[in-house]
Amino acid sequence: PPLSHSGGTGALAQWVLLELQGEVEPRQSGSLAGSLLGDLHYTREGIPVLIVGHHILYGKVVQLEKPFAVLVKQGGVPQPGPAGPHGHYTVTALIKTKLLFKTRPKPIITHVPKKV
Amino acid sequence: AAMRSRAEVDATLQTAKLKPAELLPAVHCLSFGPQAGGGECCLLQLEPGLCAELEAGHSLVIRGEKDEHAVLCSKDKTYDMKIADTSNMLLFVPGCKTPEELNADPASCNIIHSQIAGFSKNYWELRRCRPKLKKLRKLLMEDPYDGPDSQKDQTLTSKYTTEDLLSLIQASEEEILHQLQVIDACKIQGYWRILHFDYEMKLLNHVTQLIDSESWPLSKVPLCACLEELGSLEPREMIEHILVSYGRKYVDAGEVFFEMREDKICRAIAQMLLQNAVKFNLSEFEEVWQQSVPEGMTTRLDQLQGLALVDKSSRPETIFLLKVEDLPEDNQERFNSLFGIREKWTEVDITPYIQDLCAEKQTVGALLTKYARSSMLNGVKVYNSRRPIS
Repeated sequence: PPLSHSGGTGALAQWVLLELQGEVEPRQSGSLAGSLLGDLHYTREGIPVLIVGHHILYGKVVQLEKPFAVLVKQGGVPQPGPAGPHGHYTVTALIKTKLLFKTRPKPIITHVPKKV
Repeated sequence: AAMRSRAEVDATLQTAKLKPAELLPAVHCLSFGPQAGGGECCLLQLEPGLCAELEAGHSLVIRGEKDEHAVLCSKDKTYDMKIADTSNMLLFVPGCKTPEELNADPASCNIIHSQIAGFSKNYWELRRCRPKLKKLRKLLMEDPYDGPDSQKDQTLTSKYTTEDLLSLIQASEEEILHQLQVIDACKIQGYWRILHFDYEMKLLNHVTQLIDSESWPLSKVPLCACLEELGSLEPREMIEHILVSYGRKYVDAGEVFFEMREDKICRAIAQMLLQNAVKFNLSEFEEVWQQSVPEGMTTRLDQLQGLALVDKSSRPETIFLLKVEDLPEDNQERFNSLFGIREKWTEVDITPYIQDLCAEKQTVGALLTKYARSSMLNGVKVYNSRRPIS
């Protein structure tokens, strides 16, 4: 079955990839859906700065030599088993850029408020 | 969760001791979308050209039955798919802007609430591979066409349309259509068919006998006259098909002619002779073979590359049928099979039987280096198996 365009005749959406070290886990038990990750800023020089919880991550913008296509499986989870993905997929978006955060996060030391 | 406000963002910046003056005014507040943890999204790394194809609106197809490794096919190429693990987390974010995009649009929103659509620790990697076309011939050989007077029960046949083949063969459409041409398949009543060899030879014989009786030059065989003279014996489509298979079509003064392909005709006749026994005395075979081909054609052993093998070590020398298309498609299995047939091969002898294994820029030499071991035998370089033959 072909990987069809989700948007039909429209142009494919361009998304961005964020590459982080480590795991992403929900703060409370339960699903990640709806929960905040953090704030993404850029310096005036174009360096991405990600504030996640009590950490600051500095990264860089990378143009991907080999872009990615984002596939969404129709009706169920794609099983990357030994034989490969089977089933009907849709190409939802293309990713040509990634924000790579490889430096060790800097912890944010919360300012202790002065006693009045 | 409530969306973050500018005040909250600024407070976080202050806590983090980041100076807003050193930052672009816009901020992305990232949160996980409703489907993010579902695992329904996955990443496919695109080889050069595929991205452009997708943007141009072309489709990519994943092909493979449950017992086959999946391949990805573009319009004209085939790729193996493999999972690549990274140690990092990859999050995919729609609507996330790069610094260039933000700078290009000064009016862009101060706060961009972006939802992470999904995340993954791995992605699919592609590697260009040879299309898996052996199955094509196998499917069509399930029911070779042996003429309109076939005695076969038509209800028990397995026949394939183009769409059937596209869903069953792990190759791109162009590669499949090209291969159908290479194996001289033809469409009969909407189904792709391969002719039964005996029927094919019968048709060829009609044509060569007609060429002989009409004294036509082999390079100028008229289509119309063939159809007229032979139309009563065989279907016209079949007569034209055999001319297309064994000749080169051209037009001269508005009329269609065929330049008959000497090598292909000689090769087919050799196959017809060789398939009747396990092996033949070489010199006897060469004599009979030359006598069997049409007047004006010359037989040469190099016409039989990939079809037959000469055994120069036997006394007298012999020749036997060995068709490359009957051998395994997988590289290692092909070499195992060849070394099972003969322990040591010269490069000249083995080349026709491994040529089709070469990847895009691979040479026969590279294959031999990888899958065989070389040694000298009577001053000649020969190749044998890397592993002990059981």
